[in-house]
Formats: sequence, C-alpha cells, structure tokens
Amino acid sequence: MEQEDLIKKWLNNSLNSQEFEAFKKLEDFSELSRLDNALQQFKPQDFESNTELEKLQFALKKRTKQQNKWLKPFIQIAAILAICVGFYYFTSNLETNFNTELAQKENILLPDNTTVKLNAKSTLAFNNKNWKSSRAIDLTGEAYFKVSKGSKFTVHTSAGDISVLGTEFNIKDRDNLFEVVCYEGSVKVDYNKISRILKPGESFLVLDNKVVEKPKTKNTSPFWINNESNFKSMPYSQVLAEFERQYNVTFSVDDIDANEVFSGGFPHNNLDNALQAITIPLNLAFTKNNNKISLKRE
Amino acid sequence: MAKKLHENICDEIRFNALFKKHAKDLSNFLYYKFGDHLNPKDKTQDAFIKLWENCKKVAPDKAKSYLFTVANNLMLNEAKHHKVVLKHQQTKPKHHTNESPEFVMEEQEYMQKLQAALSNLTDAQRIAFMMNRVEGKRHKEIAELLGISTKAVEKRIYGALKKLREDIKEL
Repeated sequence: MEQEDLIKKWLNNSLNSQEFEAFKKLEDFSELSRLDNALQQFKPQDFESNTELEKLQFALKKRTKQQNKWLKPFIQIAAILAICVGFYYFTSNLETNFNTELAQKENILLPDNTTVKLNAKSTLAFNNKNWKSSRAIDLTGEAYFKVSKGSKFTVHTSAGDISVLGTEFNIKDRDNLFEVVCYEGSVKVDYNKISRILKPGESFLVLDNKVVEKPKTKNTSPFWINNESNFKSMPYSQVLAEFERQYNVTFSVDDIDANEVFSGGFPHNNLDNALQAITIPLNLAFTKNNNKISLKRE
Repeated sequence: MAKKLHENICDEIRFNALFKKHAKDLSNFLYYKFGDHLNPKDKTQDAFIKLWENCKKVAPDKAKSYLFTVANNLMLNEAKHHKVVLKHQQTKPKHHTNESPEFVMEEQEYMQKLQAALSNLTDAQRIAFMMNRVEGKRHKEIAELLGISTKAVEKRIYGALKKLREDIKEL
C-alpha cells in the first residue's frame, strides 16, 4: 500500500526528498526508471509554436486571397436589391383582379359585402389593402353593383368615375359606349366635365362620345343578370358587339347599316333563338359556320 | 450575467495568443491519442483554420474545447480502423560503445515491447499517461486540459502504468 502511494506521488512529481529516498529503495525502482527513460523516446516531435503560427498565418492569408474579396459585399448588395424589388413587386401587385372571358360571367363578393356581377369580357380590380380607407374599383367592361352602405364607393372607368354611397347600379363601359343605370339609391357620374346625379330608374348614356338622353326604366336590375340582353334604340353595331361577347362568335356583315337603331333583346343561353331575335326584326338572314356568322339582307 | 471582456476571438492578436497557449497541447494530445502517422501538426493547423473561420460564433471561453473537438473529429475521420502506434525516435547509433551486443539487442527488444504495450492502452489512459511522463505535466494541469477531475487523471495514469508493466512482462 505504501508502495502504491509512493508510485502515485512519483507520478505526480510530488515526492519530497525523504519520500524520494524511500522510493529509490523500492524493488520496483529499477524497472520504473527504465520504463520512464524508455518513454522519453516516445516524445512527440518538437512543436515550435512560433514557426507553426507562421505556417498558420500563411495558410489563412492564402485562403482569404482565394476567396474573392468583392464577392461578399456584392452578394450582400444583390440580396438587398432582391428584397427591395421583391417588396416593391409585392406591394404594387396587391390589387386583386377578376377577369371574365368571352361568354363568361362571374359573381364577386367584395370585402364590404358589396356584390358585383361581372359580365362577359370584363375586368375588375381593387386594392385589398386600402379597401377600408377608400372603396375604389377599376373597371373595364360591364358590371352590376349592389353596394352595401358605407363610405364613398367609387368606380373608375376609362370613360369616367361613378361614386355612390350605397345603391344598386349597372355600368357598361365598352367601345364607343358608356352607360350607367341606377336601380336604387343614387349615383353620381362624372364624365368629362359633366357631373350628374342619377335617381332610381334614371340612366346616363354616352354613344360615340355624345351624351344621349334616355327615358326612365322601370326594371329593378339589368337584363343581363337574368341571362338576357336588352336594347332600346341602340345602334346595331353595339348589339352585335354584345352578341359577340356573350356567345364568343364573330360576325361578318354585308351591306348593313351598323348605325341602324335596334330595339329588342336576345337570350344568352340559346344561340339559334338569339340569332333569330336579332335578325328577324330587321329582315336579315344568317348563315353559321363554326364561330363565324355572316349576316345578309334578305 | 457578467459582461464578457471580449465577445469573440476574431482579432489577430487574441487569436495568436490562443494559438500559442493551446496549439502545442493540442498537437501532443492528438499524437498521444492517434499516433504519429496521421500528422497531428497538420490537424492542429486545420483546427485553428476552422476556428478562425468561425471566430464569430465561438465564444472565447469555448475556444479550447472547440479546437479539441474539431481536431478530434478531423482525426476520427481518418483514424478509423487504424491501430495507434507511437513512433519512438531513433536512438542515435553510438560509434564508440562499451555496451555489449547483448545489451543493445535487449534494449531494442524492450522498446518494441513498450511500443506494443502503449498501443494496447485505451486512448484516455495513453493521453493522460504520456502527458504526465513525457511532458512532466502535473495531474492538475492534465485535468484542466482534458476537462476531467484530478482524481480521474490519477486513476488513468496509475492504471496505465500498471497495465504497461504487466504487458511488458508478458510479452
């Protein structure tokens, strides 16, 4: 036991001189010192901290040179630019869009419960983010609005602006034609420098840039809501244009006066009936060829 | 929490000081643990390069253990299936010797036995034992370096000595 203690102290280099003498007298002493001497030959190679450090610094310098110094800032700038562009793209496209194709209608519910029916070949866009502060809509084509009560509700069209508080009205903004019909409440129309307030049944019509007065209507909603088109004293070209939108067809017309006025209507769900409805009153004959329809005077 | 004096070691002076303090110990540690054939010096360099690259992420008080862990892993990637052999330095042949040929023979044999016996130690035993015997480090120093208690160091060293003596006798 004493021997083990001595050896342990020897291992920790903490023998005092007295103990060292005792250690020397151990029978294991010669073996231990032989082992100890032999172990010295297993010394690791000398480690010169300074030369090794120089080596390290050299290696590190080489590494930093290899990495392109401009690359890091360049990537940082590129990343910032990408974020900015992305953010701009995102915010500028916050507009919510609805499109209808030919022969298609769509019902839209706006955030304030205003319902919009979008007729064929029309586009409606509004900014969802700003909706609470300003109810504003961009419209091209034709749509019927049932505006729920609230702050001012504005529809921007290429022809003019329509603003209301809470009402039902129809806007038709097509080539050479701009028509607003009020069905409930009141509607304010700004067209060029003309500003007019419409009462229920009243309408505002612009044909070929000329304001046309129209008698009051007794309908409570536009005809197209019920899949019908109805015209009163409309140029025949407008009737054909509407027909093309509803049925996705094209007309070729021979010696027919496009400005001839037409009163009547056509359904949206039966092509043959519809064709008869717009041709018979004017004594016209039609021939169908796929999506092409040619009209001739009988 | 006390505010640390330095947040990281991305400073050349501090980094160099760290190198001078730990590089030798690390290199020797790797040598004792894995032997000479895997270039402990190179691995030490690699570990410090890694530390420099990650200097922002490694807290100063974690740097030592980071270095040892990284170097250890670098070694382990290569060391699989290798038996650890410590290389003893060639004793210079003496031109004039009054030692008998038998004695020289016996001495060489003893060295071979010792080499084999060292390989048979566990890594932990060999590291602690060699640090103690070859470098003359005290138990306390070794304990700090390896992050274990002095009692454990003592146990490892004494165990290593016992095993070595047995092995040499048997061989």
